[in-house]
Amino acid sequence: MNAARNAPGSVAVDDELWSAVGDPIRRRMLDLLLTGDGGTATTLSEQLPVTRQAVAKHLGVLGRVGLVHDTPSGRERRYEVDEAQLARAVAQLSSVGAAWDARLHRIKRIAEAIQHDRDEHDPDD
Amino acid sequence: MEYGSIAREIRVEATPEVVYEVISTPEHLREWWPDEADLKPVPGATGVISFGVGTPDVKVEPLTVVEADPPRRFSFRWVYDEGRAAAPGNSLLVTFDLVPSDGGTLLRFTETGFRERGWEAAVLEEAYRDHASGWDHFLPRLVTHVARVVSRA
Repeated sequence: MNAARNAPGSVAVDDELWSAVGDPIRRRMLDLLLTGDGGTATTLSEQLPVTRQAVAKHLGVLGRVGLVHDTPSGRERRYEVDEAQLARAVAQLSSVGAAWDARLHRIKRIAEAIQHDRDEHDPDD
Repeated sequence: MEYGSIAREIRVEATPEVVYEVISTPEHLREWWPDEADLKPVPGATGVISFGVGTPDVKVEPLTVVEADPPRRFSFRWVYDEGRAAAPGNSLLVTFDLVPSDGGTLLRFTETGFRERGWEAAVLEEAYRDHASGWDHFLPRLVTHVARVVSRA
């Protein structure tokens, strides 16, 4: 996956963020962290069909894009979801739709102006 | 249902022939989207659209025409790495379908490929299927978007 280079004129969407949550296991992990009010690699691996090592790796991916933050907790680290970052990603997503809404309305305006012109020049058409 | 997509429909008081011209020809494209457009609206043709022309941040984006069937359908792939061939999984597919309707045109727009890119698929899938899950924490912030997708799909 390429770096964050969603086409300009569109809305900057962070590709890494999309990739981070593109994996079903990582989405499940976010679910568990949200409902469980945080968790550790151990508690997460107990609820998932993957090893603790795999969970730790996934947590690293989520951490790099700022979706989770960790604090020391005994011999482990405790992870929590960064809801502000989650909200930011959601906002980006709805912007993509809004950008196309604006473009479609411009298409409509331009096409209707052309049609209007042609009808005036050739009313029988 | 494909969750990882954006779908819209808009009625245009112009014939499909006119609407097709507006969505597919470079001179009209630059009126509603990029600053510059250089492409031939024929299947398989690659071209570029440019943004920020005349500024230090000029960006040139490749685009590949997939279908060009006037005045019914125009589709292309974009948002992919330059130098690579656009294909499912590495790009977004934009499709315009034009349906004649009472002398005007129903313009149906979709943009797909988000599933491969992860985020929208994650959001919509969970919003639709799993209201009881932890995604409820941010679901209220999603409702506007989802409602828009559903009502216009």
